[in-house]
Amino acid sequence: MLNIEHLTKTYGEKKAVDDLSLHIRPGEIFGFIGHNGAGKSTTIKCAVGILNYDAGTICIDGKKLADEPLACKRALAYIPDNPDLYDFMSGIKYLNFVADIFGIPAAVRQERIRKYADLFELTGDLAQPISAYSHGMKQKLAVISAWLHDPKLIVMDEPFVGLDPKASHLLKEMMREHCDRGGAIFFSTHVLEVAEKLCDKVAIIKQGRLVKVGTMEEVKGDDSLEEVFLELEAE
Amino acid sequence: MLKVLLKKQIAEVFRSYFYDAKKNRMRSKWAIAAWIVFFAVVMVGVLGGMFAMLSLSLCGALAGAGMGWLYFLLLCGIAILLGAFGSVFNTYAGLYLAKDNDLLLSMPIPVKTIMAARLLNVYLMGTMYAATVMLPALIVYWVTAGATAGRVICGLLLLLIVTVIVLLLSCLLGWVVARISLKLKSKSFITVLVALVFIAAYYFFYFKANLLIQELIRNAGVYGAKIKGTAYGLYLFGRIGEGDWLATAIFLALTALISLLIWRVMSRSFLKIATSTGNVEKKRYVEKTAKERGAFGALFAKELGRFASSANYMLNTGLGILVLPAIGVLLLVKGRELCAALGEVFAARPGTVAILLCTALCTALSMNDMAAPSVSLEGKSLWIPQSLPVEAKTVLRAKASMQLLLSAVPMLIAAVCTALVVEETLAVRLLLVAAPLTCTVFTALGCTAIGLRMPLLNWTNELAPIKQSGAVLIAIFGLWGLTVVFAGLYLLVGYKLGAAPYLAIWTLAYAAASLLLLRWLDTKGAAAFEAL
Repeated sequence: MLNIEHLTKTYGEKKAVDDLSLHIRPGEIFGFIGHNGAGKSTTIKCAVGILNYDAGTICIDGKKLADEPLACKRALAYIPDNPDLYDFMSGIKYLNFVADIFGIPAAVRQERIRKYADLFELTGDLAQPISAYSHGMKQKLAVISAWLHDPKLIVMDEPFVGLDPKASHLLKEMMREHCDRGGAIFFSTHVLEVAEKLCDKVAIIKQGRLVKVGTMEEVKGDDSLEEVFLELEAE
Repeated sequence: MLKVLLKKQIAEVFRSYFYDAKKNRMRSKWAIAAWIVFFAVVMVGVLGGMFAMLSLSLCGALAGAGMGWLYFLLLCGIAILLGAFGSVFNTYAGLYLAKDNDLLLSMPIPVKTIMAARLLNVYLMGTMYAATVMLPALIVYWVTAGATAGRVICGLLLLLIVTVIVLLLSCLLGWVVARISLKLKSKSFITVLVALVFIAAYYFFYFKANLLIQELIRNAGVYGAKIKGTAYGLYLFGRIGEGDWLATAIFLALTALISLLIWRVMSRSFLKIATSTGNVEKKRYVEKTAKERGAFGALFAKELGRFASSANYMLNTGLGILVLPAIGVLLLVKGRELCAALGEVFAARPGTVAILLCTALCTALSMNDMAAPSVSLEGKSLWIPQSLPVEAKTVLRAKASMQLLLSAVPMLIAAVCTALVVEETLAVRLLLVAAPLTCTVFTALGCTAIGLRMPLLNWTNELAPIKQSGAVLIAIFGLWGLTVVFAGLYLLVGYKLGAAPYLAIWTLAYAAASLLLLRWLDTKGAAAFEAL
């Protein structure tokens, strides 16, 4: 679903991502971990077409991002680390805006908005301007907008930050359900316990380079993911 | 602490002068110098020059009649009007709506220090405008009446008093706006409405000013005696400029006292207003089937929604929406007399009336530059259009179309009224509609392109991209420059061609430039947007 081959991205002299390769298959929840500034967000932003990169190839659903950016973006949804949405819109207007961009028929979007807004208990606030939303409410709205067009691939940068425990639990269930239906999820997190319980595969990045990747069992063995991560960080 | 906060705010205001957002690095010394020179030319050359001319026309007569105080009273009044009423809503946004209020309030910084830093910023902005009136006024007076030590010192103290009065008025009105807006539902539109009343009053006095000034000079003695008799305070105020130490001391003390009072009132409510989300009732969500739109339609509606959501955005970049039809109506009422008068003046150059009217329409069009800050206003939400499956050129076209729609309709009304009034051939009349409309298309695309070339994405107050960015400055003054070239060329050589061929050439030039700009936006512009 998402193939990243030899990705390199530099900011001036600094290599933020260095020859990184990742393969995320349909049905997989793929966790991406690393310390602050390791290159997680840069990799993610390259993968969703926000950032240009210096070398490498990124393919989404069999299509090259560089050649068919729109087709690739139609197949994915992205939730950034900070849900800076359009503050001047109401929640419902933002969801309809996203639905319009993805060409979701009115009846379908209405049903999905109702379903997810009810799940996240956001229905009553949909008419409110986003500027009046709390961080958690914005995060919920970003999640709903991501699920709205039923994407094949969902890419999330620290998706659990700001969510209350109930919403976090719900999001985890939705992630699993999405992958069970053949979708794929690629997300970064600092919450290693969540990654350990939720992910089928995990990759650890350090100073822009991939230091470990594989199934959860392959990566952590008999240790906890936290122990493995801290060991790798210390090297 | 105060210095650090002030430095942060000033850096934000003038960020585009020192920092190249496109290249993500500081500008070179030469580029910084060029920007500062450009800014100085605009402030000192254009505004300062305008008020220097006004001072020259007043000073000789009034100072010669021993009524220098009346001269200062007049110019101080203009400085206060320019500085204060123009920045009422900026003061509200700058003081209470800054996005980093929460961050600063969470830090161990006294609330009064934050407020003082914001006030100093408002003070500097107000001073910048007031000084463009006061400095020429003082210099002209010193040159005309003689520069004694007393006049120079008191004159500089008068400048200080005027700038403090500007600050006090801005704060008082900003505070009133803040209190009102906490209670309002349709804040943006009501704020715009109130602002328009202020602006209308401002322009009413501005246009009447010439007549009033002439009347004043003719009967300076009578008016001077009246003011002295009924409003002695005003007389004393004007005396400061003439070097009256007692008047200076009285007004310094009064200004200090009022400043203290305003400070106390504002500091008591600053925290409450700055952190308030208002007591507006929560809107109830009623599910209904949405109207489906295509990607362009959605982006276009988004741009219109953003424009309508912000009073600052509407007031600073969209006044032409009202001014253009107003010009049209005015022309229908008074146009024939105006055309006849202009026709007599420019009898040697036929067609000049049509060209000047077209120039007026295009100059008024410069009030509409909503596409110029549009890319910058994406700010931290830029990830949305960049990550959605929509072409960058569609995003840019939506921005240009927003300005085009909001400008073309008012321009069409104004241009049709102009064509009806002017006594010219059918061809000229048709071209009087075509030329301003193609100029409107060119401006919409040009503003989008400038905004894209000079993005200001990291702002904490939307006024930074809307009012203080280089893109907006270039958009406004660029069109002014173009209209000067348009009218000047006709008066120099164009009249030999005649109005119709001249207008046709400009119409074609605008159309060709628009096509080139559209092509640039679709290709290199789109690539630049993706790379932001």
